[in-house]
Order: sequence, then C-alpha cells, then structure tokens
Amino acid sequence: MDGARDGVDRVFAALGDAGRRSLVEAVATRGSATATELAAERPVTRQAVAKQLSALEEAGLLRATRRGRETRYEVTPAPLEDAVQWMVSVGSAWDERLAALRRSLGGYGKSRVSDQPPPASRS
Amino acid sequence: MEVEREIVVPESPDEVWEALTEPERLEEWFATEVELDARPGGEGVFRWGDGDERAAIVRELEEAERLVLDWDDGGSVAIELERVVDGTRVHVVESSPQFAPAFELRAMAWTALATA
Repeated sequence: MDGARDGVDRVFAALGDAGRRSLVEAVATRGSATATELAAERPVTRQAVAKQLSALEEAGLLRATRRGRETRYEVTPAPLEDAVQWMVSVGSAWDERLAALRRSLGGYGKSRVSDQPPPASRS
Repeated sequence: MEVEREIVVPESPDEVWEALTEPERLEEWFATEVELDARPGGEGVFRWGDGDERAAIVRELEEAERLVLDWDDGGSVAIELERVVDGTRVHVVESSPQFAPAFELRAMAWTALATA
C-alpha cells in the first residue's frame, strides 16, 4: 500500500507541471522521441527539454534508451496505471459515500415530516 | 491530481451541513468511526472498517457552504454546498498532495535517491 502510494506520488509530482505533461503526451503520440525532435516543435531549448525528459525518466514515466549520443524516450505504462488506479479508487470511494449520504439524508428528512404522507419512493 | 464528484439532494443546505459536520451523522456515510471538532483549526479522525485511519484538520469552515479538511498525508478534501431549485448541490473535490511544489521536490529527491 505504501509502495503503491509512493509510486503515485512520483507520477503526480512529475505531471504537476504543464510543460512536462505536454512532453509525456508528445512522446506517447510519437511512440518514441528524442530531446532534439521535441525541442524542434516547441519554443524552448533542447537542453531545457532534455532536463524535463530526464526528470520524467526519474519519475518512472519515461524509459530512456541511449544509442551513441542520442537518447530516445518511450512512455512506460506502469506508473500511469498507478495514477489511474488512485483516481479510480478515490473516485469510487466518493461515489459510495455520496450514495450513502443521500440515503442518510433521506432517512432524516422522513422522520422529521412525520405528519405528512410518505413521499413516493425514488430509486 | 484531483477527483471531483457532485450530487444534488432534495434537502436544504442546513440539513446537509449537519450530515457533514456532526460525527454521528458522518458515521452514516463517510467513515465507520468519526471524531470531528467542526470549527476552523479543529481536529478530526476518520476510521474505516478495513483498518484505514486518516487524521484531518479543518482548514476552512463556512456554515452550510463550505468545509475543507486537510489530511495528514498532505491531501485535502473540499465539500461545497449550493442551494439549487431542487435542493442542494453537494460538490466534492479530493486532492492528492503531490501537486504542491514542496511535495514535488521531495518526490523528485526520493526518486533520484532510489534510482542512484
């Protein structure tokens, strides 16, 4: 549980920056990319892109393959699955809680208006 | 990253507010066991049947309008109530802590250490 949480922390930290998110998307779209290729289509230096890519690699979002002077990046699926899992589990917890809140409120409302006929049941 | 949910219930914001702030009401929908001092800066503990436990501090509280809890893991949950024609809109945003710059730096540092 703690291990999974750390992984999720890392992913969200790396994705907490719009520039880095857009790089992950660009790498995912291309299948693989180098800093030179990605810098060519954005108004930043190759060095800046390389630095972001290496931060994303450290966060486990990208996998680097070095061939000579060129470093190619690909998206690694596993940490993103953790992120999705966090969203799904927190989201479904809230779905359940809000359904329970609705039921709880309904119960209290009915006991208070005891002098009125019971409302038509809602599903 | 955030998870956002919204429902509309037929009750008034005042009625919903009770369910958000009174521990025995919270135990009907939020967690199995709840302690909460519902005032700004007040402390809370939420326990679930699976053994999970989260401590919280009330960061913001505007009666029948807005309740924000900060979890001890750095995350937070904001619940806002809005009166609508059909009753009350309940809007929930749970945030993971990792977008805060301090967490981002720490997570980066940990990652760098772990992969060194």
